Amino acid sequence: MLRVAGPSTPDTVRVQTAENVSIGFTTAGLGSRVVAQLIDNVIALPLAYIAAFAYSALAVSASSGQSVTIVAGGALFALFFVYFGYFLVCEVVTGGRTPGKAAMGLRVVRLDGSAPDFVALLIRNVVRVLDVALFAAGIGVVIMFFHPLSRRLGDIAASTIVVRERSRVTLATAAAAPPLITRAPDAGPAVEGIERLGSTEYNALRTFLTRAGLAPELRARLAADIAARMLERLAVAPSAPERFWPPELLLERLYLQLDQRLR
Amino acid sequence: MSLDTFIATRQPEWSELEAAINQARRGRLRSTSATQLERFGMLLRHASSDLAIARRDYPDAQVTEYLNSLCSRANPLLYRGSPMRISAVPEFFATGLPRAFRAAWPYILASCALLLLGFIGGWLAVVLRPDLRDSLVPHSLFDELARGGHPTVPDAPFAAAFIIQNNIRVALICFGFGVLWGIVPALVMLSNGWMLGTIAAAVHEGGYDVRFWALIVPHGVIELSIIVIAGGTGLMLGDAVLRPGLQRRGDALGAAARSAVALAVGAAMLLVIAGTMEAYVSPSGLPDAAKLAVGGTAAVLLYSWLLLAGRRRTVAPEHEPRSWTALSGLPGEVPT
Repeated sequence: MLRVAGPSTPDTVRVQTAENVSIGFTTAGLGSRVVAQLIDNVIALPLAYIAAFAYSALAVSASSGQSVTIVAGGALFALFFVYFGYFLVCEVVTGGRTPGKAAMGLRVVRLDGSAPDFVALLIRNVVRVLDVALFAAGIGVVIMFFHPLSRRLGDIAASTIVVRERSRVTLATAAAAPPLITRAPDAGPAVEGIERLGSTEYNALRTFLTRAGLAPELRARLAADIAARMLERLAVAPSAPERFWPPELLLERLYLQLDQRLR
Repeated sequence: MSLDTFIATRQPEWSELEAAINQARRGRLRSTSATQLERFGMLLRHASSDLAIARRDYPDAQVTEYLNSLCSRANPLLYRGSPMRISAVPEFFATGLPRAFRAAWPYILASCALLLLGFIGGWLAVVLRPDLRDSLVPHSLFDELARGGHPTVPDAPFAAAFIIQNNIRVALICFGFGVLWGIVPALVMLSNGWMLGTIAAAVHEGGYDVRFWALIVPHGVIELSIIVIAGGTGLMLGDAVLRPGLQRRGDALGAAARSAVALAVGAAMLLVIAGTMEAYVSPSGLPDAAKLAVGGTAAVLLYSWLLLAGRRRTVAPEHEPRSWTALSGLPGEVPT
């Protein structure tokens, strides 16, 4: 099965770069972003509580007769300040990835694919107050669920998106193994009507010939099927010799001839 | 070109770019020399052009996906907004913040109007429904004033911290919640005005005006101004969402947020000054006249800064005498 790259996946945002080439950024889904947030919470919440308790201890020990409201208010602020400050500081220091995002392979970028500046990170983290407020889960999650690019309100206000940085494809896997040519020692005689075939057929032949580990009888059946379609497209005469070549030999010769032409 | 030849010929540059990306630390190309940086830009441009070729010729090949991921990782390393510098902070307070304040004047005026509306409403409520006064006015404060004393003063440093955090929270909530059509900042302004209005009316009826205003004015001038500014930033965001004009709603919100955030953060920082005055000056034993003078001075300083700092002089056209703009009394500020 052919895997379709970039353009046709729904969660990809195309960005026109300065090179006038559009790069597809894969947006991070709701799931990975919620998990990233949970990981960050595991780090940030203890820090925030430590800050709140430290403030309370300081306030109570420094003076007697403190009003409970005032100590509690200050401690609550220390809690919020450290919690929200954690996200801002982490994103500013790392260029858009908190430890949670790093663990999930996510990064904040601006809508034009550039790195977010301080102002953008500041906006998205001030609006975070709204995104995580109101409900336990947060209004941000609801909006991310409905937004085609999974943006929360802070992302919209700051013109940012969160994208996935990890790719399954490395250079090693991209540089695919060369096709297995087992039957044809050379390209053979020029096939009649070869000019009717183009890169589509070339890619299909290549995909077939690079498939390893196929049972021989299965491979033969598949080859016969593809060969029949190729002969149809070549529009060779009913009595032409190509029709009597073994299918696998035909496919290999077609590939080699196309490879020479397209090289 | 066949796929194999394509990969074989271009692969060295891709590997080089990949290595350069892996050298980047914390999302930045640190410890990269100028020549290396130039090389990085060239490698990215080549990889981008390879991506365009691969999209056209091998749309289904893995290498297309690989190139896309390579470019998408390299792009934010090379393209970025101007970095935030500590040295830019003084300039921000000297010119940036006052300019942002003047640019946002319709929203600040609207925010101020909401506060006044709340104030008048609160005043009228107390005057028209004396039977409800007990529930409208906080008891302790009124009793304290009626007895001629000061409201209880907790330890000043912690009171200051409490007041500052409360105000900063209100300011940031005004900004953040402004995204939801500006409803929350509008309510915050109305309720603040209402609170002040009810207390002021009750105090007025009791005849403790000077004592009360001496308690409010030293910090209140700055504090209320800043809360009004913070409310204005929230209204700005709400307005961008409600009336995006020719832009899409998200884009309008993004633009408004960019110009409003400076004002909101600047306001939050100024609240530190206001909170300190509220804890130290307002409840202190200074004579009422001195307290009012402190408040008046603060007001003059604040507004001369906000209204006058960072104005640019109009450059008169070459062929006209320089004094012309000054004589005609035209506003001296170039529209930005």
